[in-house]
Parts: sequence; C-alpha cells; structure tokens
Amino acid sequence: MSFLRVNDVNKVYHGERKEEVIALADMSFDCEDRELLFIVGPTGCGKTTLLRLIAGLEKPTSGKIILDNKIVDGLSHETTLVFQQYSLFPWTNVLNNVSFSLEMKNIPRKVRHEKAKHYIDLVGLTGFEKAYPYELSGGMQQRVAIARALAHDPRLLLLDEPFGALDERTRHRLQAELLAIWQENKKTVIFVTHNIDEAIFLASRILIMRDRPGRIDDDINVNLPRPRDRRSEDFVKIHIKIREILEQILTVNNQGGEQ
Amino acid sequence: MIPIIIIAVWEFFAIQANNPALLPRVGDVISHLIHPFTDLLNTGSFVRHICVSASRVVLGFILAALVGIPLGLLVGRYLLFHRLFSPIIEILRPLCPIAWIPFAMAIFKTYTIADIFGAHYTTNIFGHIQLGMLYVIFYGGFFPIFLNTVHGVKSVKHIYIESALLLGADQKRLFRKVIFPSSLPAILTGLKVGLGISWMVIIAAEMLPGSDAGIGYLIMFSYELAEMDILIASMILIGAIGALLSYTVKIITDRTSEWQAKER
Repeated sequence: MSFLRVNDVNKVYHGERKEEVIALADMSFDCEDRELLFIVGPTGCGKTTLLRLIAGLEKPTSGKIILDNKIVDGLSHETTLVFQQYSLFPWTNVLNNVSFSLEMKNIPRKVRHEKAKHYIDLVGLTGFEKAYPYELSGGMQQRVAIARALAHDPRLLLLDEPFGALDERTRHRLQAELLAIWQENKKTVIFVTHNIDEAIFLASRILIMRDRPGRIDDDINVNLPRPRDRRSEDFVKIHIKIREILEQILTVNNQGGEQ
Repeated sequence: MIPIIIIAVWEFFAIQANNPALLPRVGDVISHLIHPFTDLLNTGSFVRHICVSASRVVLGFILAALVGIPLGLLVGRYLLFHRLFSPIIEILRPLCPIAWIPFAMAIFKTYTIADIFGAHYTTNIFGHIQLGMLYVIFYGGFFPIFLNTVHGVKSVKHIYIESALLLGADQKRLFRKVIFPSSLPAILTGLKVGLGISWMVIIAAEMLPGSDAGIGYLIMFSYELAEMDILIASMILIGAIGALLSYTVKIITDRTSEWQAKER
C-alpha cells in the first residue's frame, strides 16, 4: 500500500443559490513515501481543495483519503500545509513563529528555540530570529513559513503555491533551497503550482489536473538527473509536452463555454 | 496658539465683568492649580478629590475589563455565547450610563465598599467608593471593552487559525496563543475608549445627590457657593487627567500593537 492513497474522492460545494459546484470528481492517485509530487493545472481546477482535503482541513463528500494506512479524518500530526498567502503570526517574531509547533508539543523553551534556530539556518535566515514578519520581504516570509512547517516535522508536507507571489529570481533561489532540504530530510512533499518550470525543476512526478470538474488528466514521471538544467533538451521536451496538455485543456474549456 | 487666545479672551471678559462669581480672573484659577494640597471649602484638597474620583474609576474600570474581555472573547468565538448574549446586549447598549444613576442610587443607596466589609464609619478611601457609582462606571466601561473584544476576535484571520491547527494547536492554546494576541490591539482600543467613558461617567455621577467627595462633587459644591475659580480649576484638572489617561494607554497600545500598524 502506498504512503498516501486518494481513492475516488469527490468534493461538492453548495453555492450561494444552493446550486452544486463539483470541485473534485472521482479523484484517484497514489503517492509513495519520500516522493516529491507536483500537481499542476489551470486556475480553479481544485488543486487547493485537494490539499485541504489531504491536510484534513475539510472532508471529502465521498471517497477516502488514506495516509499511512489510516483514513484521514480531520487534522493529523503527520501532515502540515504551507499556504500560498502569508500566514505567519504577525504579532510575534520569527523565532516564536518557527517554534510554534514545538511549543504545542510542550517542548521546553530552550530546546525548542535551539531546534527552531536549526530550521531558521536551514532556510538561510540566520540572524533574523528576532525580526517580526512585517520586517521581512515576501520571499523571506515564505521561507519562515517553510521553516515553521519543517519544525513541526511532518511526514507529509503540503505546499500550496508557496512561491506564487515571488519574483523569478527569489523563486529560483527558494526552489534550490527546497530541493536541498528535501534531499536532506527526505520527506514526502506534495507541491501545487501552476508554474510548469517549477514543477519540472523539482518534481519526481507530476500530476496534471483538468478543471470543471477537477480531476486528474495526466501522470508524468520526471526522471531527469539533479540538479536539473532548465535549458537541457529533455527539460524543454517535458515542458513542451505539459504545455500542450494544458493548452488542450483550456481549448476544450473555451469550446465548452461557447455551446 | 489657540489656548493663548482663549486665555486672553477669558481674561479680557473677566476684567470687563469684574465679578468673580460670574467669571474669575485667570490668575485666581491658576493659583488654585499650583496649590493642589490646599483645602477647598472645607471639603479637602484637589489631590484628595482626585484620589477619590480616580479610585472609583480604577476599580469600576478593572471590573469592566475583568468581565468585558473574557465575555467578549467567548461571544466573539462561540456562536452559542453570541446567541445567548447579543439580544440583551443590543437592548442595554443604547442605554446611557447616566440613565442608570437614579436606579443605582435606589438599589445601592449610599453603600460603600467599606460597608461591605463592615467598616461603616471609616474615613479611608473605601468609604468613598459607593457601589452605585461603581456600577455606573462598570456599565460605561463595559460596552466599549466588550464590543471591541468581540470585534477583535471576529476579525482574526482564518488563515492564522488554520495554520495554528495545522501546527498542532488544541482549542485552549488556539485561544491563548492565536486568538488572544491577534485581538489584543482591538482589546486595547476598547480599554482606551472604556477608560475615557468611565472618567466622564464618574464626574456626572459625583454631581448627583448622595455624593460626598470627588472632583465632580467639588464642581457642584463650588457652583452652589458661587466659587467659580474652584469650579473652573476643577474642570481644567478633569480635562488634564483625561488627557493623561488616554496618553498612558496610547503608549502601551502603540508598543503592543506595532505589528498591526505595520502589517501589510
């Protein structure tokens, strides 16, 4: 049995006029332990919903999510999620933010601050322990958010477009850092993005989602050696392939809209 | 600049009127203010009256905060408490605290804190803290504290709550470590407004019959004796103390709410 199994999951929301909105339809896939799985798809295809279901923040309308042989039913200590929006606690400093989960585990102050410092070092923010979130740039805030999630030491780390709001240079630097962290800690990571380049650079496997309703369209293994060269032939080939799939999805949508 | 003009106009009319019972000279008022320990009209000094008023306000205000903040946290967070309390609060809220004074006098008579503890003829400060006055200060301070706390709790961003839960927070610590610090700036705003209102309400309460000390009492008493210089000096003191109170709260608020002012 795989580490994570999403089995026939459907998620239906009720809109303002009680109409049904199908966010996810018959979603099924497996994710192996220590995989770096990417989910790519058009905006509004239910990527975020999927992560919220896996994290246990919401429950599927039907179907099952099984994590490490246990059905996901609410929040679990095995999983944490880094949001796309800035989510650091603004009333306290970096050190307290990163050690939050350790505090929840009743780890003594001294020990948790040492551990937190380790993760702050890991994301390259040594010296910013006493800084408040508002004193940090967007990129630094997302690094702290990742450090905070890592300090929780989850087996499954869910990332919802964590670099979505960042400029390209910062984004590339954080991608390299994340890769190093993943290689060192070997956690299972599910990363949602709409950036194809990001997906191919990092992923061991890419799922492509289709929208209306959200479902899996394609499943691509990425076997390129790391660190990956964005200009290599194979990289570009996969890039073109995914782009074509996404364009085809968008074309179908537009035709559907005209009917 | 404007205070100088006001003082100049005041002094001009005081000289014209030439009647201290109508409008005293600026100098007479100032001489009262620079001698705060001098006894006034056999009722005690400014300092004594201020201490009496301040201790009433502080006690009533602390009670209001002790009830208003926890209740606000519960009503803001839990729908059950919201449903339970919001109808009665909506009815009581528009009722001016001053309107309660006659009722409070009828219920509490002139009982003081000292009476509760059985010390009926004491002259210490507790003998001057009438339960009725405490009640109206409590009432005046409660609503701003309570309503701001509710507002603060309701505006805690959902993403902070979800983040905390994802990082392993239980309900108790979610309250202590996320909801409370996140609503703290709003709570402090409530305390600031509440303290200002308490200070206004006590002056009004002290002017009414049954009052025996306090700066509001002094105003009323000096009016009856046509001692306009004491009356005006008292008013200046009330204004100055009110400004001092809100300045003190502002310093505390600014320090603890810095993150909110700078949050993007």
